[in-house]
Amino acid sequence: MNKIIETDVLVIGGGVTGTGIARDLSLRGQKCILIEKSDLNAGASGGNHGLLHSGARYVGSDPKAAVECKNELEILKKNAGHCIEDTGGLFVAVKGDDEKYIADFPGMCKKSGVYCKKIDLVLAREIEPALSNEIIAAYEVNDASINPFKISIENINDAVLRGSQYLSFSKIVGFKITNHSIEYAIVINQNNGKTYQIKARTYVNASGAWAGIIAAMAGITINMVLSKGTLLVTSKRMTKRVINRLRKATDGDILVPGGVVSILGTTSVRVKSPDNIYPTIKEVDQIISQGEQIIPALKTCRYIRAYSGARPLVSEGNIEDDRNVSRGFTLRDHQKDGVDNFITITGGKLSTYRLMAEKASDIVAWKHSIFSKCLTKEIPLPSTKSGEWSEPGVPINKPFKTETGNDPILCECEMVPQSAIDTLIDSIKQAKGKPDLKSIALRSRIGKGPCQGSFCSLRILSHMYDRDVLQDISDINDLKLFLNERWKGEQSLLWDQALVQSSLKEMIHSGLFGLELIKDPI
Amino acid sequence: MMIQKDTDCDVLVIGAGMAGMVASARASQLGLKTIQAGNSSALVFASGLFDLLGVFPIDSGEILSKPYPAIKKLQSDQPDHPYSKANQKQIEDSFLFLIEFLDSAGLKYHLPGTCNKQILTSVGTFKPTYIVPATFLKGCDLNKVGKNLLIVDFKGLRGFSAKQAASGLGDRKEKTHTLSIDLPENKGGLNPVHLAKSFENQEFIQKLSDKILGFSKKADIVGIPAICGIQNSFEIVKELEEKTGMDIFEIPGMPPSIPGLRLKNAFEKKISDLNTLFLSNAKIVFNAMEDDNFILQAINDNFETRIKAKCVILATGRFLGKGLFAQRNNVVETIFNLPIFQPKTRDQWHQLNFFDPKGHQINQTGLETDDTFRPLDQTGEPAFENLYAAGSILAHNDFARLKSGTGVCCVSAYLAVNNFYKKSHKMRNK
Repeated sequence: MNKIIETDVLVIGGGVTGTGIARDLSLRGQKCILIEKSDLNAGASGGNHGLLHSGARYVGSDPKAAVECKNELEILKKNAGHCIEDTGGLFVAVKGDDEKYIADFPGMCKKSGVYCKKIDLVLAREIEPALSNEIIAAYEVNDASINPFKISIENINDAVLRGSQYLSFSKIVGFKITNHSIEYAIVINQNNGKTYQIKARTYVNASGAWAGIIAAMAGITINMVLSKGTLLVTSKRMTKRVINRLRKATDGDILVPGGVVSILGTTSVRVKSPDNIYPTIKEVDQIISQGEQIIPALKTCRYIRAYSGARPLVSEGNIEDDRNVSRGFTLRDHQKDGVDNFITITGGKLSTYRLMAEKASDIVAWKHSIFSKCLTKEIPLPSTKSGEWSEPGVPINKPFKTETGNDPILCECEMVPQSAIDTLIDSIKQAKGKPDLKSIALRSRIGKGPCQGSFCSLRILSHMYDRDVLQDISDINDLKLFLNERWKGEQSLLWDQALVQSSLKEMIHSGLFGLELIKDPI
Repeated sequence: MMIQKDTDCDVLVIGAGMAGMVASARASQLGLKTIQAGNSSALVFASGLFDLLGVFPIDSGEILSKPYPAIKKLQSDQPDHPYSKANQKQIEDSFLFLIEFLDSAGLKYHLPGTCNKQILTSVGTFKPTYIVPATFLKGCDLNKVGKNLLIVDFKGLRGFSAKQAASGLGDRKEKTHTLSIDLPENKGGLNPVHLAKSFENQEFIQKLSDKILGFSKKADIVGIPAICGIQNSFEIVKELEEKTGMDIFEIPGMPPSIPGLRLKNAFEKKISDLNTLFLSNAKIVFNAMEDDNFILQAINDNFETRIKAKCVILATGRFLGKGLFAQRNNVVETIFNLPIFQPKTRDQWHQLNFFDPKGHQINQTGLETDDTFRPLDQTGEPAFENLYAAGSILAHNDFARLKSGTGVCCVSAYLAVNNFYKKSHKMRNK
């Protein structure tokens, strides 16, 4: 007999939407279990710009989304300020850009109620010296940057504090459906291979790009269109503000600062599966060639890594350009499809995650006959200790305190001390996860600096052996997995200094330690 | 003030890594007037272990216990590999030269044999290598012997955990003990160089011996991180052995590497004893040829020297040493702009899997040479009559995967200088 866990709501998917729903429903007194087949923000929630849109990007293509963005920006700035850097933004055009779009832009903003203000070109270059001297128009907007990892960590931490539960590396393998409703979900614990059942009143599919796959397990068809976007991280922050290209959305037209780095993107490439996507050299070169038109330094600067996310878009017919599929979200109550206690929420964007969580939670509340309204608009998102280390540049803004004076820095690029690693190990253990380099990296800045894990991986690994978190020689495989995960983001960007660094990485991990000779576990 | 002067030499060695040091040492020994320019600091990334060939073929995934038969096979399979321009006698001679040279500077290695050794690393893996510092010798092939082992670490020496190193001993783990020493000077981490210097202090050695003696009934051999002194490491380890009555060996770990620092110091000391002019951190610019001589400029913050050299040994290394530079779409050689063997486009440089068994194609890039190590031009002829290349800049040698780094540096540098010497003497005798 399999183990059975009972709960009010089973939320599937540990991205910003799933964690947001877990918190929203916890605030309404519902106990949730959030299950995630990998770990927090493994999909599009972790593969985006970290941009909180002012709405200006959508004023032409999707005015409804523009208004949603504008409203959510205000709410999040007020309630989740510690996850946001209020950078402000610019829209700039260069010679050759569509002049009609430039001329129409202020009017379209006005129509959607989105703030924009024309600024003098000399002033624009003064406040953002990295801008090209070829710019022909500049508008100030209210964009901000947001740390999506921190948002998810803080949302789930608050939900857990209110009685909900987070289970990482737990994957849905099927639903038992009787009498038009899900009786239980069958879940596999990927750390030990054991299956068990979760029995809930309502099941929420918040699995983003995987929403079609999960829905299919309940016999429901959702036509997902997956659009891969690739982004590049520079080694230094290039601008103070978010810089948008003032034209119809296309490749390489947004540069978002985040702490001490900047993120340049993106592309739109149709992919069949959301699994195993990675940046290609063609995409990287395309993004740089577009980006350098507004910020010339992007041609020669050092890039630390590249990453990709699959935008989960829901198709309503034949679409040729994925950028024309609505970036609004899709919320379906599957009662219509013959499964009464199952809903799917997907699509949308990081900027509107809270609104998506609110709308999905409203349906759950209605199904459970709960009449308490959504509280995430009013109650601020608390800041917790285990969320602290995910932010780029934290220690630079805020020197860390060491209580004993004996706290070695294990990641020197991002200044992460041993005590922070210990906090994260404990917090991962609490979520019944297995502390390893990948799960620590997800919750902190380790491995994200110029050395891309060459050194910190070894220091943290040996610390984990010292603490008996790891014991066996086979645990060295954790190092291989971690380095390969980093590698996925490095391999398309290896020239100049980045190639020097990766050569050194090979000298250490292959030349000296011979990790390539260790047989992978079967 | 900028000092300007002119100087001339028989051999200008560009580069101060392993290959540059061997070339400069050999040229001086042969009585050639030698100038060396470069930055020796990259030697602190050297593990101190001398590899010859540890894995072959590259994707075999197996560690070689006997390197020479594998080199024979490599020579027939890959005539472009640097080893294909040497015979076994020359390989052995070059290592012998290197080891005697270091010995005369007080840094002891054992003599070359016919077998590889397997060395326990700080992460618990075993690395195949050819020759090890004398202070590592007793730890070789530990996986084969049934001795009771103690592994020591120091709290605050980041990246080295005795428990982790011991995990590599697998099923004989129960015969392995660990000791973690918390030094009073550990306040938020120990600097490996400072810790290594502490080993040169008598009081420190006494305290350490006392701690180790606590395990005298359980263990008969002791592994210590490779930080047992910078100078006189051999004597320090010997003293620890005398005080404890146990065998002691060092375990290599992540950089900065103290055995690499020992190499750097030994080379620098000897090369200055030999009166070789060493232009530290000088940037070299090639100007022109003048009557079969190279005219180059050596520039740094304090001086600018015009050098006239009969022969140049290019030992500038790869990307880390700046001998090669990777632009976004191609690799170039930085001093003579020599043609580089390389894949056509960047998407062939790297595999998607960091640990792909075939290795990455970028590591095959480099200079192709004739049989005397003279780099070739576009037409396949030597680019210059007396320009030689040595070390990791040579093509077709993925040294991290083949475990062939020091071997290729040592053999190519030694032979490049010999080849120039032989050629110039023949000319003179004519």
